[in-house]
Amino acid sequence: MSALISFDGVTLGYGHRAILSGLTFDIPDGDFLGLVGPNGAGKTTILRAILGTLEPMAGTVTRATGLRFGYVPQRDQVDYQFPLTVEDVVLMGRYDRVGLGRRPGAEDRERARAALAHVGIADLAGRALSALSGGQKQRALIARALVGEPNLLVLDEPTNGMDLVSTTQILGLVRELHERDGLTVLMVSHALNEVANYVERIALVLEGAFRIGDVDEIMTERTLSAMYGIPVEVDSFAGHRIVLARRAPAEVRNDA
Amino acid sequence: MLDAVLLFRDALYGALVIALACSALGVWVVLRRIVFVGAALAELSSAGIALALWLAGIGIAPSVTSHPVAVSLLVTLAGALFFGLSGARSRVPADANIGVVYAVAAALGILLIAKARSGEAHDIFLQGNILGITRGDTLVLLAVTVPVLLVHLAFYKEFLFVSFDRETARTLGYRVTRWNLALYFTLGLVIASAMQFAGVMLVFNFLVLPAVTGLLLSRSMGGMFAWAIASGLAAAVMGFSLSVPFDLPSGPAIIAVSGAFVLLAWAWRARGR
Repeated sequence: MSALISFDGVTLGYGHRAILSGLTFDIPDGDFLGLVGPNGAGKTTILRAILGTLEPMAGTVTRATGLRFGYVPQRDQVDYQFPLTVEDVVLMGRYDRVGLGRRPGAEDRERARAALAHVGIADLAGRALSALSGGQKQRALIARALVGEPNLLVLDEPTNGMDLVSTTQILGLVRELHERDGLTVLMVSHALNEVANYVERIALVLEGAFRIGDVDEIMTERTLSAMYGIPVEVDSFAGHRIVLARRAPAEVRNDA
Repeated sequence: MLDAVLLFRDALYGALVIALACSALGVWVVLRRIVFVGAALAELSSAGIALALWLAGIGIAPSVTSHPVAVSLLVTLAGALFFGLSGARSRVPADANIGVVYAVAAALGILLIAKARSGEAHDIFLQGNILGITRGDTLVLLAVTVPVLLVHLAFYKEFLFVSFDRETARTLGYRVTRWNLALYFTLGLVIASAMQFAGVMLVFNFLVLPAVTGLLLSRSMGGMFAWAIASGLAAAVMGFSLSVPFDLPSGPAIIAVSGAFVLLAWAWRARGR
C-alpha cells in the first residue's frame, strides 16, 4: 500500500528545543492508526507535523500528492458563541473547494446534508451548533471533515470529556467509516484503553520515546512496561484488551 | 426638532457611515472576543493625533505632522499589525498585550496633547466632535469604509472560518495569519478614520454594543450582522435626534440609546427562555 504520510529521521520541537527526534514511520493508505500518549508527551506536535502546520527541525515529512485531510479538532477548540447552525459548520469543510471569495452553492449544501446523514444526524442540520450534546457536536465536526472528501481522516481527542455511551458511539462510528468506506484514519488520544480496541495500529508517545506497530505488537506487557517505566498488566475481557498498572506491593513494616 | 436635526444633517450622515462600518466589523470584534483590541486601537489612533500635534508644535517633520489623521492612521495600522501578529505562543498573554497598549496609548495621548503647542481645540479633536462632521468629511469616511465593507462582504466566509476554527482552516490551506492581519488592518482603517470625528468612547460603543444586540437577537450570522447594523444605525439616528434639540452631547446620547437597545435585546432573549 502506498504511504500517505512518511516521516524520515524527523526531529520536532519549538524554537531551538527538540521534543521528539529520530521519528521514522509511514501512514499507509487504508491504515487505522491510533496516536496515543499522555497529555504533554508530544502527540499534538506529531499531529501538527503530519498536518503540515509545524515544520520539522530535521528530517523530512513527505505527504502523498493530492493528499487531503479531513480534520476533526478537539471539541473545545471551536467557539460555540458563534450563531451557526450545524449545516453552516459542516459547509466549512467545502470552503476551500468553493474557492476564494465565492459562496457555497446548492451542490455544496446537498453534500453537507449527505455528510450529516452519513454520521446519523441529518435531522439536526438546522439546529444551532451550541445546542447540541457533546456526542452530537463531535458527529457534526466529523461530518464537516467528511464533506471535503478527504483521503485521511484525522481526529484529535474525539472522545475527550464524553460519557461511556457517547465514547462508544463515536469510536464505533469512526471504525465504521474506516471499515465501510475504506477511509484511512488517524486518531489522536490520551486514552490507550479506549483506542486500543478500535484501531489496527498504535503509535505510542511517552516522554520523548516513540514506538509504532500493530496493536498486538504494542499491547504487550513487555512493550508497555518498558515504555511507561512501570510494571503493566494487559488483560483481556470479552475480546477487549485492558491495560492496568500493576499495583505496587504493600510496604512491610518491621517494627521489631 | 426636525429643523434642528436637518441643520446638522451632514453630521448625521457622517455618524451613520461610522455606525454602519463599526457595527459590521464589530460582529467579528465581539465573536472573536477582542473587544479591547477595538479600545486599544482607538486609543492608539487618538495617541497618533496627539503625537502629530506635538511634533508639529516643536517643528519636527511638518510635511508629515501637519496631517494628524495620516499620522494617526499609521500609528493605528502599526498597532493592528502588532495585534494581528501576536501569536498564541507568546510568553505574554494576548489580553495583557492589549492592556499594555491600551494604557500606554491612553497616557501618551494625554501627555503629548498637554505639551502640544498647536492652538486647536485638542480635547474636541481627541474626544471627537460628531456635530462638526462636514459633507467633505463624510465623503472621506465613505472612501475608507466602503472598500473595507466590500472586502468583508467578498471574503465573509474566509473571515468566518479563520475566526471560528483557525486550526481546521489551517489544515485546509488557509493562511490564517494573513487573514487575521487583513481583519485587523481593515479594523484599524475604520477605527482611525472614525476616531477623529467620533472619539474613543463612541467608536468603542459602535464596535461593541450593536454587535452584542445582534448576538442577543439572532441565531444566525446573517441575522447578527443585520441586527448589529440596524441597531447601530438606529442608535445613531435616535441619539443624534435627541441630542440636538435637548442640547445634549451627541456621542453619549448615541451610546445611551445603544445601551438601551442592548437591555431590550437582553430582556427579549431572557423572556424567550
